[in-house]
Amino acid sequence: PAPRHTEFHAPPQVLVPANPYLYEEIPYWLQFYSRAAPEHDHKLRWELFRLPELDCYDNVLKRLYKQELETIVMNYEAYRSAMARELERRRAEGHNRHF
Amino acid sequence: SLTRQPEEVFDIICKLGEGSYGSVYKALHKESGQVLAIKQVPVDTDLQEIIKEISIMQQCDSPYVVKYYGSYFKNTDLWIVMEYCGAGSVSDIMRLRKKTLSEVEIATVLMDTLRGLEYLHLRRKIHRDIKAGNILLNSEGHAKLADFGVAGQLTDTMAKRNTVIGTPFWMAPEVIQEIGYDCVADIWSLGITALEMAEGKPPYGDIHPMRAIFMIPTKPPPSFREPDKWSPEFIDFVSRCLVKNPDERATATELLQNEFIGMAQPASILSQMIAEAKEIRENMVYRLSGRNLVESDDDEPDSGTMINASANDRTLVPSQDLYDGTMIGSRTSEGTMIEHCTGTLVPHGRKGGRTMTDDDDLADNLGTMVINTDEEEEDADSTMKRHQTSDGQANKSKYRPLFLDHFEKKDAEKLSVDGAPPAQVSPASTVAQPIPMTPEEQKRFESNLQRQLNQISAGSTVGVIARTVMSAPSQEPAPVAVIPPSVPGANAHAENPVKMQRPFMDGDFEFLKFLSFEELQQRMSNLDSEMEREIYDLRRRYQAKRQPIQDAIDQKKKRQQNF
Ligand SMILES: Nc1ncnc2c1ncn2[C@@H]1O[C@H](COP(=O)(O)OP(=O)(O)OP(=O)(O)O)[C@@H](O)[C@H]1O
Ligand SMILES: [Mg+2]
Repeated sequence: PAPRHTEFHAPPQVLVPANPYLYEEIPYWLQFYSRAAPEHDHKLRWELFRLPELDCYDNVLKRLYKQELETIVMNYEAYRSAMARELERRRAEGHNRHF
Repeated sequence: SLTRQPEEVFDIICKLGEGSYGSVYKALHKESGQVLAIKQVPVDTDLQEIIKEISIMQQCDSPYVVKYYGSYFKNTDLWIVMEYCGAGSVSDIMRLRKKTLSEVEIATVLMDTLRGLEYLHLRRKIHRDIKAGNILLNSEGHAKLADFGVAGQLTDTMAKRNTVIGTPFWMAPEVIQEIGYDCVADIWSLGITALEMAEGKPPYGDIHPMRAIFMIPTKPPPSFREPDKWSPEFIDFVSRCLVKNPDERATATELLQNEFIGMAQPASILSQMIAEAKEIRENMVYRLSGRNLVESDDDEPDSGTMINASANDRTLVPSQDLYDGTMIGSRTSEGTMIEHCTGTLVPHGRKGGRTMTDDDDLADNLGTMVINTDEEEEDADSTMKRHQTSDGQANKSKYRPLFLDHFEKKDAEKLSVDGAPPAQVSPASTVAQPIPMTPEEQKRFESNLQRQLNQISAGSTVGVIARTVMSAPSQEPAPVAVIPPSVPGANAHAENPVKMQRPFMDGDFEFLKFLSFEELQQRMSNLDSEMEREIYDLRRRYQAKRQPIQDAIDQKKKRQQNF
């Protein structure tokens, strides 16, 4: 007999379910496609895929977009705070020089 | 009711405001003489679901939820007919009075709001767009939830086309993270709304919405900027709403028992606030219509030389297109006339153009808003003073439309401000020569002005930044997408129209040491627009990558239907 779960983790009852593609494994080629130069994009024959596959790819691209977006925002965040620190340092220095 | 043409049934009286999905009008039901509000939403597809949702909304019958009477189709617009709330939204009232709410006022509004939420949540319905802009007051001061359902439904349909997700500032962390959510997502938004009513803007309201999106789930829950100004009860109330783990967050029913809500008073305590807002609104309409802003052929010297808004919007709102491309129904050329809707008109914001540059304005705008504590107002006033940009406040002898201030505050480089009318000069660094306007230019100017006016007076800002790009690139090409967002004030970069390089290498910031103080400051002030530009490029790239997939999907679906 199959082992029984003693600690069953019931999914919380939510009205709006999680994005089903949130944890979808991203095929390497799709990741590659998302970053590749667009010249050859037209050669891809998307119509050869089935509808659910296409849906999935589209949603995965959406996720990749969000990921890259986050990376950009976070990079700027790091830059922003480095700059704020530097400005602060200069202000403190200037302060010391004057008084 | 869907059979008759809506204009046979209603007389449109005037425009009440504009939101992210469409415009709202005050209307008269001819048969009964009843005054109603009608929201006109441009729609294209997936109407079935919207209709279904509206019929569910129609079943809702609570004094705390704006009543929905039905819907009509008029060409490509969906007309949603609902109860009219004479005092407008709580954010309208704050904006008009330039004043936030006091604790009792907040408790009073929140009590009705919570009852509305309790009503919806018991029926397992999530509102999904709770914010001061969606809490409407009727003339007696009773608060009602607006936009329930439609917003959600529209958001869904748009999300399918991945254009939109709601305004980020009010969004619960679990909503942003897309990990699934429930009714208590509204409670988070309610906590944010409480802070909004107290402080004039939601937490993170003055930072770029894109940054806010990633901060909300990662940072500890926000709280009051100045905690010692507020009662422990109020602080406790907010902290019960702003619990990151949805399982531990209070429910509407629980919060109705909260001590702070016990401080609520009868709705009549709001009547002074409502009357004040009404008067300001009426004056605004009166004065605006008294000026020549609406009459295009009248070449009064004043208007011709006041501001020479150049022909294109870009100079006024540089990076507008960044967001527009991701928004529902870009309503670019709407509402160019100032409407005479005494008693109700609020020149309300187009959600579209909100960008960082506008945020700066808005920050200013809100900076001058008086935070209303229950203590002496003097004190509250003075705490706000430091935010105030002291522009020609002194020579504001005669009445000047509010928005003129904002024109002055607007980045001087972006506007050519003529030096002529003394009271209206700002110390602009780049002062253009007065150029007399042709009638066409003047028309354009006016429509720009109206658009600006809309945006500006939509001061509660935040609400306005709206519908931020968080899901993904829009599949339709952005209407103005050809123009890359210009970088305001970044003259160094502007000279180089070639693709801008990121101003830093990831992780290595040593080079900052070698920059001058001025250069550092300059770079700091350009940060958001540079980030926007990168995001814009990213969005375009994904738009292009997804397009062929979506085309294939559409084709397959069409073929399926044919069999
Ligand atoms: N039922 C109503 N009665 C009176 N005024 C209304 C009504 N509904 C909306 N309004 C006015 O119209 C404005 C625009 O409403 P709308 O719902 O389109 O946008 P919003 O609430 O500001 O933002 P969002 O699109 O996110 O809901 C409101 O701010 C309010 O002033
Ligand atoms: Mg609304």
